[in-house]
Amino acid sequence: MPDTATSAESIITVRGLGKRYGDFQALTGVDLDVRKSEVTCLIGPSGSGKSTLLRCMNFLEAYEEGEVRLDGELIGWQEGSSGPRRPLPGRRLREQRRHIGMVFQQFNLWPHMSALENVAEALVQVQGMTKAEANGRAMAALEKVNLKDKAGNYPSALSGGQQQRVAIARAIAMEPRVILFDEPTSALDPELVGEVLNVMKAMATEGMTMVVVTHEMGFAAHVASRVAFLDHGRLVACVPPPEIFGADPADPRIRSFLQTYRERNVV
Amino acid sequence: MELDLFVRYGPALLHGFGITILCWIAGSLGGMALGFLIACIYQWSGRWIRGLLQAYIEIVRGTPFMIQLFILYYGGPHFGLLLSPVEAGIAGFVVYGSPYFAEIFRAGFASTPKGQFEAARCMGFSEWTIVRRIVLPQMLVSITAPLTNFVIILTKETAILSVVTVPELLYETQTMAAETFTYVEPFLVLSLFYWAMVEFTSWLGRRVELRVTRHLRRA
Amino acid sequence: MDFSFSTITHNLPYLLAAARWTLIISFAGMLVGLGLGILVCAARLSRHRWLSSFAALYVSFFRGVPLLVQLLAFFYILPYAGIDLPATVAAFLSIGMCSAAYNAEILRGSLQAIPAGQKEAADALGIAPFALWRRILVPQALRIGLPSHVNELILLVKVSSLASVVGIGELTRVAQNITGQTYRPLEIYLAAACVYFVINAILAYAGRMAERRLNVGGA
Ligand SMILES: Nc1ncnc2c1ncn2[C@@H]1O[C@H](COP(=O)(O)OP(=O)(O)OP(=O)(O)O)[C@@H](O)[C@H]1O
Ligand SMILES: [Mg+2]
Repeated sequence: MPDTATSAESIITVRGLGKRYGDFQALTGVDLDVRKSEVTCLIGPSGSGKSTLLRCMNFLEAYEEGEVRLDGELIGWQEGSSGPRRPLPGRRLREQRRHIGMVFQQFNLWPHMSALENVAEALVQVQGMTKAEANGRAMAALEKVNLKDKAGNYPSALSGGQQQRVAIARAIAMEPRVILFDEPTSALDPELVGEVLNVMKAMATEGMTMVVVTHEMGFAAHVASRVAFLDHGRLVACVPPPEIFGADPADPRIRSFLQTYRERNVV
Repeated sequence: MELDLFVRYGPALLHGFGITILCWIAGSLGGMALGFLIACIYQWSGRWIRGLLQAYIEIVRGTPFMIQLFILYYGGPHFGLLLSPVEAGIAGFVVYGSPYFAEIFRAGFASTPKGQFEAARCMGFSEWTIVRRIVLPQMLVSITAPLTNFVIILTKETAILSVVTVPELLYETQTMAAETFTYVEPFLVLSLFYWAMVEFTSWLGRRVELRVTRHLRRA
Repeated sequence: MDFSFSTITHNLPYLLAAARWTLIISFAGMLVGLGLGILVCAARLSRHRWLSSFAALYVSFFRGVPLLVQLLAFFYILPYAGIDLPATVAAFLSIGMCSAAYNAEILRGSLQAIPAGQKEAADALGIAPFALWRRILVPQALRIGLPSHVNELILLVKVSSLASVVGIGELTRVAQNITGQTYRPLEIYLAAACVYFVINAILAYAGRMAERRLNVGGA
């Protein structure tokens, strides 16, 4: 077993994570603990590597250096002693990904399936439930996001906010250990942002472990347990919100980042 | 118009029609299957294999169907491939059609947004399940028209099988013409016949297309 | 299996000489197809009902009947109608008549892409309809549809192989003759396939170059 001393209460541990695209170093030496039943928000300037970090956590991006562990289990790579690492066989990777939900900026609902079918699909195809079981579980998940009455709608007949809530229900229904959100409200009209954030708040209250990349500083300040600040692919800080949104954050990079928001009166 | 001629040769012509239909359907289905396989391999492989597949596509599309048939039927025995005319005809169709079908499927894959794959991957779908449940149903909308289009083209290509002595419709008509020294009427009738077949197939294709898109448009 | 390269090298000159006829038939067919295609397209868009339905019928018929059947029918009907043409001319006329249907449809699509304002501008200047067509619309449409017309030409190179059936000594026919003498179908037909492929690759390349030049100069 790997060293679990530091990850006693953390579900995802990131250690020395490095990721490059060709010559461009997108992430450098990132260490991060995502703790159980907490909301961890990732903030930072555009291009700082937030999405990349998030996508390394479920191996949608293959990272080269360091490691990401889910409950102690190395994600994406075979646990090896020496030599170059080898990627896990597809079946093992799929097994790992079942436990990590993800919600995308662009929703990525499947347009040829109704809301209910979108949520139930993976339950049947991946978890091997019967159709009836899956529909029951899917309906419960839709109820959690207040969309029970839209179960039969196709994505094209849902508003952006509703589509994103279906996408959240799709993630919840798998009962993952953690859900990753990549700017879940950035593609929404301003008046639809609230309904999605409210659903996420409710999930946080129920104790769901969440990692949220967001530009909604209000959400980070009031809902997050910890806020991680990324800049140029490095993790500058990972602290409780007051230390970032408080009177005077220590790091000048954080200060100038927040300045742009203060000027727009967002925080 | 000598009607009794068509009565006398009716059975042979009908049989020829059956062979035409057999080669057409078997060839279309086989070509589609091979094309789909090629598109799938292309989707999930590296530069080298992609290059090979691309070369195959270009070569088959750059050469006449007749030459391909000759290579299979007359050249086949030289590398141990002994085919009857009908078998050669069907095999020829499968080879000839595969690159066109592959390109259609490839465009279908390309038209599926990347996020759709990602959403499915990070829920633990296997790649095959993604193709079956997410990609295929969606691309059906955009590929039905080009697919039917090419199947219609294959309808007409069946006539070429007569040159490797496949006893299909044109072959039987030619036999009849040669034996009775009547040429004009049989060929006019034959033309009308193919024309009707093509029109019918494209009508069918439009129906199928409506079906497929209606299912998806249902809000 | 034994593969005889020397058979290929010995006979390549004959194949290349025959390829000249392949080119002649397909280019002449394309010329006929373009000229006739412009007429058919004009008729199709004509305000006269009977003219446009005749053009529609023409397109549907020539696209709906296998070219091989058209070719054979043409060769049988000509003497019947008392017309005496050299076989090669008859071949490219027949191919051109079929190609006209496809070229007409390509043109029709291209014409639709020309902004209506241009026709209005010409009307405002008092330009006669025929001059409008000849000087403004057709040149632009040919330019817009260039990739499709090049495709059509490549198609004609491939279908010119059908002329072998009516005894014209083009590439496929000569390959058949050589095979009859050498009993080396695999080598000869593969070589013929290569010649076809090279011709088409060159045409495709020339088409892309022409397209690029037109894009730089025009628009
Ligand atoms: N597939 C890729 N190929 C090359 N470079 C990439 C790729 N994906 C991301 N990058 C680069 O990596 C850096 C980090 O990208 P990332 O998407 O993680 O930023 P981000 O913090 O999520 O930004 P945003 O807030 O705009 O979403 C950027 O500079 C980006 O240009
Ligand atoms: Mg991002």
